[in-house]
Amino acid sequence: MRVRVELHPALKQWIEERFARYPSERSLVVPALLEAQKYYSYVSPEVEIGLAELLGMPPQEVHSVASFYSMLHQHPVGRHIIQVCHNVSCYLRGAEDVIAHLEEVLGIKVGETTEDGRFTLVTVECLAACGQAPVMMVDEKLVEQVTPERAEAALAEFD
Amino acid sequence: MLQETKVVTELAGTEGLRRLEVYEAHGGYGALRKALTGMKPQEVIDEVKRSGLRGKGGAGFPAGLKWSFVPRDHPGPKYLAANADEGEPGTFKDRWIIEENPHLLIEGSIIASYAAGIDHAYVYTRGEFFTARRVLLGAIKEAYARGYLGENILGSGYALEMTVHSGAGSYECGEETALLTSLEGGRGHPKLKPPFPATHGAWGRPTVINNVETLATVPSIINRGADWYRSFGTEKSPGVKMVSISGHVEKPGNYEIPLGTPVRMILDDLGGGVWKGRELKAFAPGGSSTPLLLPGNLDTPYDYESIAEAGSMLGSGGIIVFDETTDMVRVAEILTRFYAWESCGKCTPCREGTRWMLQIYERILNGGGRMEDLDLLLDICEGIDSKSFCPFGDAALGIVRSTIQHFRAEYENYIRKHKVYKRKFMPVRHH
Repeated sequence: MRVRVELHPALKQWIEERFARYPSERSLVVPALLEAQKYYSYVSPEVEIGLAELLGMPPQEVHSVASFYSMLHQHPVGRHIIQVCHNVSCYLRGAEDVIAHLEEVLGIKVGETTEDGRFTLVTVECLAACGQAPVMMVDEKLVEQVTPERAEAALAEFD
Repeated sequence: MLQETKVVTELAGTEGLRRLEVYEAHGGYGALRKALTGMKPQEVIDEVKRSGLRGKGGAGFPAGLKWSFVPRDHPGPKYLAANADEGEPGTFKDRWIIEENPHLLIEGSIIASYAAGIDHAYVYTRGEFFTARRVLLGAIKEAYARGYLGENILGSGYALEMTVHSGAGSYECGEETALLTSLEGGRGHPKLKPPFPATHGAWGRPTVINNVETLATVPSIINRGADWYRSFGTEKSPGVKMVSISGHVEKPGNYEIPLGTPVRMILDDLGGGVWKGRELKAFAPGGSSTPLLLPGNLDTPYDYESIAEAGSMLGSGGIIVFDETTDMVRVAEILTRFYAWESCGKCTPCREGTRWMLQIYERILNGGGRMEDLDLLLDICEGIDSKSFCPFGDAALGIVRSTIQHFRAEYENYIRKHKVYKRKFMPVRHH
């Protein structure tokens, strides 16, 4: 049985506007998956099917690509993603304490989502900001020189 | 007291530098004008070759030589991939260049493209670089509007398109052939070389892949000439390099130095020395993939040859500093976890080897290590060394081997006393 999925029109437009920039349509699959998460919060099988149709590739292949990249979520996530760097330069300047504090105030462990669906807490590899370590990102916002207190305070503007 | 030698970073800190008119007011796009209206593509290549400019992403390959491998009479489109997939832990110069001075990267990319006969330049940015992408997109839009991109650039008849492409979280995509696979719309797996990207790159077409810092160095070389660039650095490592200093120093940050500067001067005069008045235990000279060096290596000149002679690599220029209190077993575990998670999975030695090493590190830090684990770790390193498909596998070995070599007693302390790291390690799954 063939399932048809209508993608969000704004997403569809975002992708189609960029077709002319590439020799093949499937080249857009990675950026398109990232963009799709603005509309769908995670890459569901339906999203994969919709993208596959638009990009002219099998849904299985879209899934194969989607499952490779760490920013593409395979399961529903919270409204905001907190990514705390746990790599070496941030570790050396206190990232462990930041992570432990966020786990405590949010009442979740790394990899989990708060019950109200507000935050998903994950660790992330080096964000190329080691000069300001430790660092974290909330959605698209980079927070530098975080302490446990500053990390907690940075969450206030995200509801 | 060592002062910085500012080439790529020359205009950093200039108010409003992201805007085209500010960049132009400081001489920006002058090199592009000089190249496109006064030099043949071959002359640009020759000048850059003579300058000795080496790739600044990690491999250190001569940039002009790389451009010269692109077949000139090849029918059909050719591509440039500017590698902005900066992910080497301890390295943060490329993101900084883009956010600080986006037009410098654009100008360098256009000149490189002109030299190699490129039709379309893609800037492959890390997925996480939201701000850098926004800044770059704005700058490219300005460059199109001003006629530096698109058809008939500066009346030269040369045309170039430029597109910002986004990854979505993968260290492996910084490897040049994996970057191409990702750009083409696949999992970030490396490709077999040969054929090399210069003849069979993106979409099977001739492709040049250059690091952001490399491209950002090109305008200065065109403006001031190869001899000027060669006046810095050493015979075999000419010119300048950005270093990203992180970890246990007083003043972490990006600095630019002539190659051949002693490491001690870089760390003390620019990095402000080891923080809190502590002693240095070790440092990684060129990012997380480079074997650790010791205080005894501090007088080593920071250039490709000298760092190699000392037993490590200059790599990306990311100097990570560890003070005397650092738990080196935990450091090795952190980086092994990184490589295990980021291994693309294409080849067995890297995929299985890094995960196996991580399991061993977890048991050591959980108090269950065995004395024979040290030999086992070294044995697994041997099983990966030069046997993985791309350089990633070897990159994972430096930290394991060098910590066992230099800090074996710390491993033994964990194992003998069944010491448990302060946080128990639960296997955290990659999301």
